[in-house]
Amino acid sequence: MTARNEPLVIALPKGRILKEVMGLMRHAGIEPEAAFDDPGSRQLRFATNLPHVSIVRVRSFDVATFVAFGAAQLGVAGNDVLMEFDFSEIYAPLDLGIGRCRLVVAEPAELRRSDNPVRWSHVRVATKYPGITQRHFAARGVQAECIKLNGAMELAPQLGLCRRIVDLVSTGETLKANGLVEVETIAEITSRLVVNRAALKTRPVEMNDWIGRFREAANAA
Amino acid sequence: MKKVGASGLLPAGLRDGLPPEAEWEAHVIERLMAGFAGHGYRRVKPPLIEFEDTLLAGPGQSLAPHMFRLMDPISQRMLGVRPDMTLQVARIAETRLRDVARPLRLSYAGQVLRVRGSQLRPERQFAQAGAEIIGTEALGADLEVILMAAEALAELGVRHVSVDLTQPLLAPALCQGLGLDEERARDARRALDQKDVAALRQAAGPAASTLEALMAAAGPAEQAVAQLARLPLPPPAADMAAELSDLVGRLRRAAPDLMLTADPGEFRGLEYQTGISFTFFARGVRGELGRGGRYLSGGESCTGITLYLDSILRALPPADGMRRIYLPPDCPLAKARRLRAEGWCTVQGFENVGDPAGEARRLGCTHHLADGEIREVGLA
Repeated sequence: MTARNEPLVIALPKGRILKEVMGLMRHAGIEPEAAFDDPGSRQLRFATNLPHVSIVRVRSFDVATFVAFGAAQLGVAGNDVLMEFDFSEIYAPLDLGIGRCRLVVAEPAELRRSDNPVRWSHVRVATKYPGITQRHFAARGVQAECIKLNGAMELAPQLGLCRRIVDLVSTGETLKANGLVEVETIAEITSRLVVNRAALKTRPVEMNDWIGRFREAANAA
Repeated sequence: MKKVGASGLLPAGLRDGLPPEAEWEAHVIERLMAGFAGHGYRRVKPPLIEFEDTLLAGPGQSLAPHMFRLMDPISQRMLGVRPDMTLQVARIAETRLRDVARPLRLSYAGQVLRVRGSQLRPERQFAQAGAEIIGTEALGADLEVILMAAEALAELGVRHVSVDLTQPLLAPALCQGLGLDEERARDARRALDQKDVAALRQAAGPAASTLEALMAAAGPAEQAVAQLARLPLPPPAADMAAELSDLVGRLRRAAPDLMLTADPGEFRGLEYQTGISFTFFARGVRGELGRGGRYLSGGESCTGITLYLDSILRALPPADGMRRIYLPPDCPLAKARRLRAEGWCTVQGFENVGDPAGEARRLGCTHHLADGEIREVGLA
């Protein structure tokens, strides 16, 4: 019944937090094959020191998709991604405390001085998070028209694409450099260990064991 | 090959069932229904469409966002296409079968339609098969329904079935006992549903530690109810925990090999449930195979199970190719009849062909009849 050897796929996000995530992975006893750290490698799926455990490295938004559909059983995703999709099949049982940042609404500094948010009925916003943005503004009775961008949101107000953006901010330097100021914080963001719902229900002992190992790793960090 | 063009296009989430899948689904439904009938459940057949306000009355309210609506040109009233059959069955029990002795056991199978598919089930139309037991509070009814469904799935050949048990009103009772206001309680329940510890801490503040312990009491059923028993629960929640523990014990004795998990804090999708609820999974299969639980209908306590055919078919090995035999034009009718009685599907040829084996293969047959003998077609 324990089915220890059933394949386990872990989906990890490419990019800035991967290094911190790998620290936790190693602490939890998972060491990927050498190609994982080779920047020249075109490989997408990696074996590990545990014969039944493999790692896939995908875009942060795709981590949630892989885990929601059960293609991966475990993953690491920010709550920005979880909020955007609101996947019903994902559990987020552990806050890993890494990748800390904020999801904010920002606009040009000169607009901020004359703007009165109470009078808004419609705003146009450039963002990677149309779902969160629409819900956030709808909750205060404002219709948000989202322009979906995949990066460099800060350019949009400068070039007249729209006046406001919703984006992740950690230090605030990028905003400042582009003449933008924060208007409000939508959410505090950290990375979470995520688990596929059916996997947790059908392989509870194994999954709880992994959650426990990552909890120890996160506490030790 | 002829070009199909846009005439084959169907609206999103709808599809044509083709052979062999359509045959296979019908066969699986038949076997499930036979299993329910064997346990004394009588079949009912509610209509596809009803008045909107009847479908949405009472517990049906939660299904409102899923329902297709149309206007009835005759009564000039709004109609809804059923998004689920459980509540129709409950309505039948409450109205036309109100005089029939309780507990009343009813079963049903049919197609349902939803405005939007879910993330895991993009289909807007899918088949349900289910069984309800109406008018009893006995825990034996919950036991019966769960065991009956587990048995039916096992008999179909679904492997590694597991049953997840929950008490959807336990978390709300605990939130109330902890003095959380409505908004905080709602956020806390949502966090419990997503097992999001960070969101739970934010929602529940100082009360979070008890709710966190509730969240942690999830996993193998015996372990989960033992953990639950150690929590300081206010009286209504404590009773629910005891009931859950009782059911786990009885299920374990009745089905020692059934994989049982419990997640007493979970609430998701159990919009109208009022007591012990359960979800069926199979290891490695995406989505739920079925779900059910306690609810109230017209003042009567009921429990039941709804199975989702699309998930069940995903959990089964691919449909066995049926034994199809090609019969040459001169095959006597009596012979064909005899073959069908033996379980063959016969495919009658109309013209003499040079290569009967090739003809059989062309028509998707596994065998052909030559000189009165059954021969395997084999690969080309």
